[in-house]
Amino acid sequence: MLETLERGWRILATGISFTTFGLGGLGLRLLYFPLLQLLVRDQARQTRLARLAVHHSFRFFIEWMRVLGVLRYRIEGVEKLARPGLLILANHPTLIDVVFLISLVPNADCVVKASLAHNPFTRGPVRATGYLCNDSGPALIQDCIASVKAGNNLIIFPEGTRTRVNSPMQLQRGAANIAVRGPCDITPVTIRCEPLGLSKGTPWWRVPPKRMNFTIQVHDDIPVAPQRGEAGGEARAARQLTAQLHDYFSREGQGHAAA
Amino acid sequence: MTKNQLFERLSAILQETFDIEPARITPEARLHDDLDIDSIDAIDLLVQLKPVAGKRVPPEVFKSVRTLQDVVDALHGLLDESAAA
Repeated sequence: MLETLERGWRILATGISFTTFGLGGLGLRLLYFPLLQLLVRDQARQTRLARLAVHHSFRFFIEWMRVLGVLRYRIEGVEKLARPGLLILANHPTLIDVVFLISLVPNADCVVKASLAHNPFTRGPVRATGYLCNDSGPALIQDCIASVKAGNNLIIFPEGTRTRVNSPMQLQRGAANIAVRGPCDITPVTIRCEPLGLSKGTPWWRVPPKRMNFTIQVHDDIPVAPQRGEAGGEARAARQLTAQLHDYFSREGQGHAAA
Repeated sequence: MTKNQLFERLSAILQETFDIEPARITPEARLHDDLDIDSIDAIDLLVQLKPVAGKRVPPEVFKSVRTLQDVVDALHGLLDESAAA
């Protein structure tokens, strides 16, 4: 009885959370960003302040979900993120992974689905923050490298989309291409959610039997050596690095919680 | 250069640049679906093909190619163009 009640509350609380999220996005777009544009002339400063606003909003949002009883979380190694110019790669089990990561990184840049730049609730923040859009093809790799070199902390999910439950992890090669061609070292982050909720193909209201428990670990950097010689060497290196990352995230991302 | 020779050159580049096993390299193999050549790889491939074509390969030429045979035909077309000019 109590369990059913608790579960019912989490469905409601998840709905409340997402409504808050949408209204927050709309509020930033209608109030905060226009004000920013009015008061701050310098474009770079505007972008920085917009990103900072999203960072604080997401921090609030995560705390809000915790207070509402939707989730619990534990974060390890967060101090490793307090450096500029990082290429942060993470596995992608849930819908709110990027919310967690941006809540930990004040100067985050990320690659967003082009559709979010058109969604009324996310359009404002996506445009004002100058986040990269994923519809620009190979030029995107160069844009990503430029962002890291400019000192932003670029967050990428090498899987490209949330992990499909019950099927093997698949990595796109874009992230490895950024690392190899930068070259940029990789700061790996693993995200675990037990029991799993908000996963690919599960509607938001189908909440897991117990409260979602997130463990987010920031690991030591994976060094990426610069490639000498022809462009061909980079294509091969990107393939090898993708395979290496696949092993890494398959190993570190699952199981052995307390190891 | 004959189409056969062009295919041999292309095959060597695919093995060298993208670590593709020779057994998978057939004229019917599709670049994207069978050989996992993505849009980033395609740019590298164009660079590698420049010495084969004897000039820069315009990306438009590659817009409609799907299989390795299409690539060979496109290169052959480019070479013919140069010979005629």
